[in-house]
Amino acid sequence: MKKGMIIIAGILFLSSVMLLSVHSQEDVTEVDRSVFTNPQRPAAVFKHDAHNQNAGIENCNECHHVYEDGKLLEDESSEDQRCADCHGPEADGNKPSLVKAFHVNCKGCHEKQQKAPILCGECHVR
Amino acid sequence: MNDIYQFVSGPLAWVAFILFIGGSLYRVIAMIAEVKKKEPFIFTYMSLKYSLRSILHWITPFATYNWRRKPVLTVVTFAFHICLFVSPIFLLAHVTLWDESWNIRWWTLPDGSADIMTLIVMASCVFFLVRRLTQREVQFVTFVSDYIILGIVAAPFITGFLAYHQWFGYPILMILHVLAGEVMLVAIPFTRLSHMLFSPFTRAYMGSEFGVIRKSKDY
Amino acid sequence: MAEPATKNPVEEQKVVDEGIDVGISRLTEDKIEKVINQVLKGETGARLKTYVSTCIHCGLCSEACHYYMSNDKDPKWSPVGKIKQTIWEMIRKKGRVSPEFIRRAVEIAHTECNQCRRCMQFCPFGIDIAYLIGMVRRICHKLGVTPRYIQDTVHSHSVTMNQMWVKGDEWPDTLQWQEEEARGEFPKLRIPLEKEGADIMYSVIAPEPKFQAQLIYQAAAIMEVAGVNWTMPADKGWDNSDMAMFTGDNEIMGRIKRTHFETASRLRVKRIVMGECGHAFRSVYDTGNRWLGWSQPPIPIVHAIDFYYELLKGNRIPIKEKFKEPVTLHDPCNVVRGGGLGEKLRYVAHALCETVIEMYPNREYNYCCCAGGGVINCGPPYKLKRVKGNRVKAEQLMDARTRGAKVIIAPCHNCHSGLKDIKDYYDLHMDIKFFGDIIYKIMEKPE
Repeated sequence: MKKGMIIIAGILFLSSVMLLSVHSQEDVTEVDRSVFTNPQRPAAVFKHDAHNQNAGIENCNECHHVYEDGKLLEDESSEDQRCADCHGPEADGNKPSLVKAFHVNCKGCHEKQQKAPILCGECHVR
Repeated sequence: MNDIYQFVSGPLAWVAFILFIGGSLYRVIAMIAEVKKKEPFIFTYMSLKYSLRSILHWITPFATYNWRRKPVLTVVTFAFHICLFVSPIFLLAHVTLWDESWNIRWWTLPDGSADIMTLIVMASCVFFLVRRLTQREVQFVTFVSDYIILGIVAAPFITGFLAYHQWFGYPILMILHVLAGEVMLVAIPFTRLSHMLFSPFTRAYMGSEFGVIRKSKDY
Repeated sequence: MAEPATKNPVEEQKVVDEGIDVGISRLTEDKIEKVINQVLKGETGARLKTYVSTCIHCGLCSEACHYYMSNDKDPKWSPVGKIKQTIWEMIRKKGRVSPEFIRRAVEIAHTECNQCRRCMQFCPFGIDIAYLIGMVRRICHKLGVTPRYIQDTVHSHSVTMNQMWVKGDEWPDTLQWQEEEARGEFPKLRIPLEKEGADIMYSVIAPEPKFQAQLIYQAAAIMEVAGVNWTMPADKGWDNSDMAMFTGDNEIMGRIKRTHFETASRLRVKRIVMGECGHAFRSVYDTGNRWLGWSQPPIPIVHAIDFYYELLKGNRIPIKEKFKEPVTLHDPCNVVRGGGLGEKLRYVAHALCETVIEMYPNREYNYCCCAGGGVINCGPPYKLKRVKGNRVKAEQLMDARTRGAKVIIAPCHNCHSGLKDIKDYYDLHMDIKFFGDIIYKIMEKPE
C-alpha cells in the first residue's frame, strides 16, 4: 500500500518535472548547492553528461541511490529527486548530511577509481 | 598526483600523528620520570594554586610586567599563538576530512575568518623573522635552527593559504601543505617547538617557587 | 630622566685574578670535559634539559638585566646572552671546551651576573636563569677556578665557620666590647650569650663584628628598648652568611647552614632573627635548608625587616620623632623578590620616616644593586665593571633624588656596599642607611 503510494507520487512528480523542466541534464555544470544558506566554497564543478560519459556510468543509481533502513536498494534509483530531499543540513542517524553525502558520493568513488580528482580545490575550483 | 596525495594524507599522516602524540608523551613522561629520579624535591614545592596563578597570568595579554612593557610584541605573539592553534583545528576543510575519515566533527570557522587568521600567522612569522634579524639581543642568541623552526611553523600556513586560494600550481601546493603540516607536528616534540609541551611545566614550577617560597610574583 | 654624572671613564684594564689565572693554567681539555660531564650528568637532571630545550631564544629576558641596560644594551650582557656564552656551549660541545672558554665562563658567571632573578620574572616560560648560572659556577668551582677574593671567603667559612676569618675569641670579645659601649647609653643592656630557651637567636654576617660593630650595638639597643628575650651564640654558628652558596661549593654551604641551624636548636630558641642581610636570608631561608634536605627551614627564619615590622606594629619601639629627611627605598632581591617582604618594608619605612619617595621600578621589579650574588665579594679587580655595569641603578637613584629623596634605605649588606660604590662613582650625593640606623637614631632612649 505504502509502496504503491510512493510509486504514484513518484509518477506524478516525474511527469510534473518533465512538464515544467526548463533545463535538462546537459545543462548541469555544477553541483546544486542552492539549499546551502552560507556556502563556504565555490560550487563543485560537475558536468553531468560529460562526467558520466568519461566515467562510463550507465546506471543512474550509481549516484542517485536509494537507501532504506540503512540498506542500499540495488535496483532502485532516485534521479527523480533532489539530493537535498533526503539529505538535510545535519546528519540524521546513519544518513549523512548533504555536504558529507556529496563528498562521500563523489570523492568516495573518485578514490576507488584512482583517476578522478580528490583534492578540495579540484572540484571546488575558484 | 592522487597517489602522492593519498600517500601523504594517508600513511604519512598516520606516521606524523603517531610521532607527534607518541613523541610528546615520551618527552613529557621522560621528563617527569627524570625529575622523580634525580630532582624529586621539585614535587615538594609544586602548588596547584600558584601554578595556575602563574600560567593564567602569562597566557593573558598584558597581565604580566613584561607583557605590559612590550605591547607590540605582546599583541603579535598572542595573535600568532591563538591563530596558530585555532585556525587549523577549526578549519572547515580539516574538520571535513576528520568527519569523512572518523565520522567526528566539531564547530568550524567561516573560511573567510580562517583566511584572515592565516594571514595573521604569516605576518607574525615575518615580524619574528625581522625581530631576529634586527634586534641585537635576539640576533645574538639566534642559531640556524631558530630560522628553521620559524620556517617549519610558517610553511603549513603559507602553503595552506596558497592552496586555499588555488594560486600557483594547486595540486602540488596541496601536497606540500599536507607535508608541511606533518613536518610541523613531528617537529613539536623533537625541537624547541617543544616549548608547547614544556612551558606549562616550567611555568608551573616557577609559579610554585615564587608563590610558596618567595611569596612574591613571577609575572 | 636626568643623566647622572660619570667620572672620567677609565679604560678597563685586563683583570689579574690569581684565583682564575692559576686555576686556568692547571686545566686541560680532558679535565674540563670530565668535570663538566660529571656535573651535567651527575648533578643536573630534567630541569636543566627542559630549560635548555624550552628556551625559544626570544631575548625577552634582556631588559630585566641591569648589566645589559647599563652596557648600552650590548647583547653579550643579556641573561640569555650569558647563558649562550656558557652552559649552552658546554652542552653543545659535550663538555669539550678550552681553558680560555672557562676563563670567560667564570668571568660571566661570577662577575657579570648577580643571580638577582629579575630575568626569571621576565621569561615567559619561567626559566630559572640564576640556576643555570649557578651550574656554571658549580662547574668552575669543581675545576678549581673561582675568583680569588670570594674563594678566600669560602676558605674562611670552611675553617672558621664565618666569612671573615673571625677567630674563636674575637667574636665574644667583640660582643662584650659592644655591650660595654652600649651600657653607657643603656645602663641595663646585655648582649645575652648562650641563653638557652630565649625567644630569638639573633645572627649576623661576619663583616659586622669584623668592621661594622656599631650594627651589633644598634641591634642590641633595639632589642633592649623593645624588651626582647634574645640571645647570641658564643661559639661557631653565629654567622649566617654564605659565600659558598655563590661559588657553587654546595658542600661547604651545607656545613655552614647545618652549624647555624644546629646552634639555634642547641640554644632551643623559637626563631632565628637575622640582621639586615639579603644573601644570608636566601641561604638560610631558601637554599641551604634544601641542600640539607629540609623543604622549609627547620627553625622559623625572620628577616630584620619582618622583625622590625612586628615590633613597630606592636608599638614596642617608642619613636621620639620620625626621620625627617626624605628617603627612598631599595628593595633587595633576596628579601623582596625572594622573600615577599616588599609591603612590610614599606610599612616599616612609613612608620619610621616622614617622607618616603618610591623609586621606579620598585618592589619585586626593582633593579639589582649589582653587588649581591657574590659579585662584590669577587673584590677590587672587578669593581669598575660592577659600577659601570649598573648605570641604570644610578639613573634610577638620580630620578628619586630629583623628586626629593636624600637618603636611600637599603636593608641588605650587599646592596648597601654596592649602592655606596654607585653613588660615589656617579656623584649622587645621597646617604645610605639601614633600618637599624634609623630606628636607633629616632627611638626614645633613657635620659
